[in-house]
Amino acid sequence: MPDTDPKESGQRYSLQTVSLLFPYFKKYGVRLTAGFAALLGVDFFQLWVPRFIKLAVDELEKGVATQAGLLRIAGFILLLALGIAVCRFVWRYFVIGFSRMLERDLRDRLLSHLLTLDRVFFQRHTTGELMALTTNDLSAVQLACGMGLIASVDAVVMTVAALGFMIYIDPLLTLIAVAPMPVLAVITRFLSARLHKRFRKVQEQFEKLTEFARSTLTTIRLVKAYTQESPQTMRFGRMGEEYIQQNLKLATVQGILFPISGLVANSSLLLVLFFGGSLTIKGIITAGDFVAFISYLFMLTWPMMAIGWVTNLFQRGATSLGRIQRILDEKPILFDNADGGTLQPVTGNISLKHLSFSYPGQSEPVLDDISLDIRPGLLGVIGKTGCGKSTLCNIIARLYPVDDGKLYWDGRDVNSLTLSNVRGSIAYVPQEVTLFSETLHFNITLGKADASKEQVEKVARAAAIHEDIEALPEGYETRIGEKGVKLSGGQRQRIALARALLLDRPVIIIDDGLSAVDMETEHEIISSMAGYLKGRTCINVSHRVAPLVDADEILVMDKGRITAKGKHSFLLKSSSYYATIYKYQTEAQGRKP
Amino acid sequence: MQYGYGYFEEEHLGQVADIRIWRRLIAYSRDYWKQIGSAIILSMVVIGASLALPYMVRIGIDSFIVNTTIDIAARIEGLARLAGIYIAVIICGFAANFFQVIILEWTGQTIMHRMRQQLFSHMIGLDLDFFNNNPSGKLVTRLTNDIQNMHEMFSSVIVTLFNDFFQIVGIMSILFWMNWRLALILSILLPLITFNTVWFSRLARDAFRSIRTHLARINAYLQESLSGISVIQIFLREADTYNKFVELSNAYLKRNLYQVKIFGIFMPAMELFSALATGCIIWYGGGEIIKNNMSLGELVAFISYMRLFFQPIRELAQKYSIVQSAMASAERIFQLLDTKGTMMSLKRRVEQKDIKGSVEFRHVEFAYVPDQPVLINLSFNLKPGQTVAIVGATGSGKTTIVNLLERFYDPDGGEILIDGQDIRSQDTQWLRQQIGLVMQDVFIIPGSIRDNILLDQDMVLSGLNTIIDKAQLSNLLQKLPDGLETRIGEGGMDLSAGQKQLLSFARVLARDPKVLVLDEATSSVDSETEMLIDRAIESTLANRTSIVIAHRLSTIRRADFILVMDHGRIVERGSHDDLMERNGIYRRLQDLQVS
Repeated sequence: MPDTDPKESGQRYSLQTVSLLFPYFKKYGVRLTAGFAALLGVDFFQLWVPRFIKLAVDELEKGVATQAGLLRIAGFILLLALGIAVCRFVWRYFVIGFSRMLERDLRDRLLSHLLTLDRVFFQRHTTGELMALTTNDLSAVQLACGMGLIASVDAVVMTVAALGFMIYIDPLLTLIAVAPMPVLAVITRFLSARLHKRFRKVQEQFEKLTEFARSTLTTIRLVKAYTQESPQTMRFGRMGEEYIQQNLKLATVQGILFPISGLVANSSLLLVLFFGGSLTIKGIITAGDFVAFISYLFMLTWPMMAIGWVTNLFQRGATSLGRIQRILDEKPILFDNADGGTLQPVTGNISLKHLSFSYPGQSEPVLDDISLDIRPGLLGVIGKTGCGKSTLCNIIARLYPVDDGKLYWDGRDVNSLTLSNVRGSIAYVPQEVTLFSETLHFNITLGKADASKEQVEKVARAAAIHEDIEALPEGYETRIGEKGVKLSGGQRQRIALARALLLDRPVIIIDDGLSAVDMETEHEIISSMAGYLKGRTCINVSHRVAPLVDADEILVMDKGRITAKGKHSFLLKSSSYYATIYKYQTEAQGRKP
Repeated sequence: MQYGYGYFEEEHLGQVADIRIWRRLIAYSRDYWKQIGSAIILSMVVIGASLALPYMVRIGIDSFIVNTTIDIAARIEGLARLAGIYIAVIICGFAANFFQVIILEWTGQTIMHRMRQQLFSHMIGLDLDFFNNNPSGKLVTRLTNDIQNMHEMFSSVIVTLFNDFFQIVGIMSILFWMNWRLALILSILLPLITFNTVWFSRLARDAFRSIRTHLARINAYLQESLSGISVIQIFLREADTYNKFVELSNAYLKRNLYQVKIFGIFMPAMELFSALATGCIIWYGGGEIIKNNMSLGELVAFISYMRLFFQPIRELAQKYSIVQSAMASAERIFQLLDTKGTMMSLKRRVEQKDIKGSVEFRHVEFAYVPDQPVLINLSFNLKPGQTVAIVGATGSGKTTIVNLLERFYDPDGGEILIDGQDIRSQDTQWLRQQIGLVMQDVFIIPGSIRDNILLDQDMVLSGLNTIIDKAQLSNLLQKLPDGLETRIGEGGMDLSAGQKQLLSFARVLARDPKVLVLDEATSSVDSETEMLIDRAIESTLANRTSIVIAHRLSTIRRADFILVMDHGRIVERGSHDDLMERNGIYRRLQDLQVS
């Protein structure tokens, strides 16, 4: 089967991959044409310089040179140099500029595409992986399309032209002179690949060092408490020594690779010195030819070096482009019915009918045949880690795809509604809070940028975070994140809650979103929310029983199924699991709740 | 090759001419003067070889190729002899270059390694106060990127400085020696070249810096958007996120195009100078030949040397920004090395013997920031073997008690006594060895589970097995194919939060301290693990004086007495039953759980 040949399919893929760039070549066509025209200009002018030097040398050798003639030749050389300078600026600006614009376009396109993808995708791809894509891979593509493109075109034109002039002077001498050059190309190519590999090893070791330092410094209290200062320094030292070794291995490759072009160029020069010199002595070529020949030889060295380097550049660029292509090819599994209907208004009645769900590539279902009618009011969900509580919330919030006929909002199949209609009806409080490095005000008003100051303060009070914020020097305008103030886990969760409350939506989902808030505060929040929740649907997933006792209904989940549901008092009698954790968490021996 | 080691901080810039920094840097290299000396000698060989080559071509032209005074056979034979020497010179140059690279890499890496070790050891020896004021990300950057910057300078800049300097000086001397009049005329170009180079390196540095800042901004934004993508999607912020990104992206593009422009002017300008030099050589040098003041070979050699002359200048211009960034890094590193701990250790040391394990806090006062007291007149007394549970809301001062007992900080007033001795009169290291600390967090060292339990101690297997049983780790270990030898951490197995907890109990059991501090985890684990942790706590607390920052009711009930903290004060103390009857804060806290 031809499909199983990895090499062939790989090649087909890369052809397809390059086609990703075609629209950009077209978009920046004028720029590229101008750039390459200028590049040809550079090469053209450059090739004439040795001709003028030859002219001068020949005249001088024959003794027919005059001061005026020499001045004229010098003038021509300067004129050529001026032409070269102008053209060189043009190609640099246009072609490298093109590669930078391409980089920008691809980066914007990547983000715009990523924003449409769903949870299933982000489960498979970590942020770090995607960051590598937009930094390393993108810059590999940029290098290939900028310097790579320039160097390859330049190398080809220069090689052909310089060889042409050399052959014009003496074909046999040309053959002798370029004999070492292919060796250079081969060695460079071989060593560049090795260089790349060793370089990666060095970087891996560097990352290990970084990670070790990071983990030591973040747990410094323990390191000190265990008096591990010097053992830890020794461990760090061993990694550092390994790092030295990796670097030395890299240096041996560098130590050969970088000077080798000089070595080969000089070998060519040696051959020209001897054979070309002999030809001159025998009168077959002139002394001027000899000098010009050496100049052309110098011009050839660079393209030969470039071949190995450029091939590597293109290879890496193609691999990276392939990775980018693969991400751009990802389609959201989540189906957004853009032409679908919208519910106006949403009342918050949600029904699940025999809904099952498993993550792609996993056979074990995370949710197993769930049927459930959710009405306005407080629904509590409790269960072990991994029982499917969060997945249930995510599915209701339309973060995962569902089949037709499984999930209904107000009696309408969600797949017949627009995504923004459904999401626009939900306020969501996740367990892992994401706050952006902006002001607190920005973070709270994330979904409602035009909220008034009073509104913001009102929800902040409800989420029991207002006082914490007021205590900060700049209040709501305090910046958070790397360069700003650091917040505790509980504070972050309360901000996320305030953010959700501000949205004033018919459905609110708290996905274990108060786990880091201490019990007293949690209680305060739950009671202050009671009024707010009237007429709304609130789903509260929690590890603690306490905030759920007043819920209209509590689900007990285990292994993707609902094992029990009902009010607190009912579950205490009917669910042994519920009763056990209740007892465990309260352990109220001798006390009745 | 570009080294893409993250981003650099830009808040302050290194002064290239700061002598104090240079002096300290040189002090580090002093032990390696032999290596550096041989690198310099090798550098001279490299330059000597590369400069000899055009000169040999000149000899070839003048003495043999255009020399019609001797017969053809003798001329070709001379040329062959010259070619032989030429090969030898090439090979010498290549070999010298190789060894120079290796020696400098070794030296540079070794010096950096020593510096990094010194910095690491200095850093982790500093007070906790220091770590509270310096985010760990910044400190990691000092140890990694800043050191790396310095290495860049050591290996590439020192080479460049020596090689390029020798090359420029060498070429100038040869030119003056061959024909001083022509060399003098060419010297007129020097100020132009210098001006162009200096101007360029300034602009290029600024451009580069601004590119890095913009790139860092883009990456930070992207990182945040990607990790918060569900929030963005749920809150329907896709369009805003994208638009803001496009703005950043465009700003970055603008800086890049500016850099392209600067390079686009500098590089061709240098070539223009080079052509100007060639023109001068042909015009004036040709004239000299006509006047018989110079030979044709010399003219060719002049042209070759001029080509060699421009290459190091171009490099020097580019290396300038590396030096600057390395100096900034050096300054930051030295600043850190000069940071001293603020905690005083009383010099009078009491004899260190085994302790019984009584702990007393006597009227302890403490504030991290002046005028914002965290602990107010705190007193309690623990007899050997007793357990106290400390409860209270976040921010009530519970963790501070641990910080003071471990001597991460010293109290502002009052004293803390172990076995009746003020802990400030003890050796801190010794003190910490007497106290076991278990926290929610755990530091993993790269290695096996055994290494992670024992850290730097030795222990026989039977002893270790008892510990593993007590810490409830046996179940986990049985499931692992490699058991105790399973590698964890970087490149190894990832432990769950619950497993890390159990590991930390094993770790403290292995050290068998008389005093134990347990900061219970608040993070939720499944109920099975919960039971395991509960059992591990029980066996860890046995026969030890223990201070527990408690969240589990089971732990609280196990304590001999309970301290209820509120805003830095002990507001209630007593047993669980007493406190429940009292109907105070404790009762309220418990009722919340029970409802």
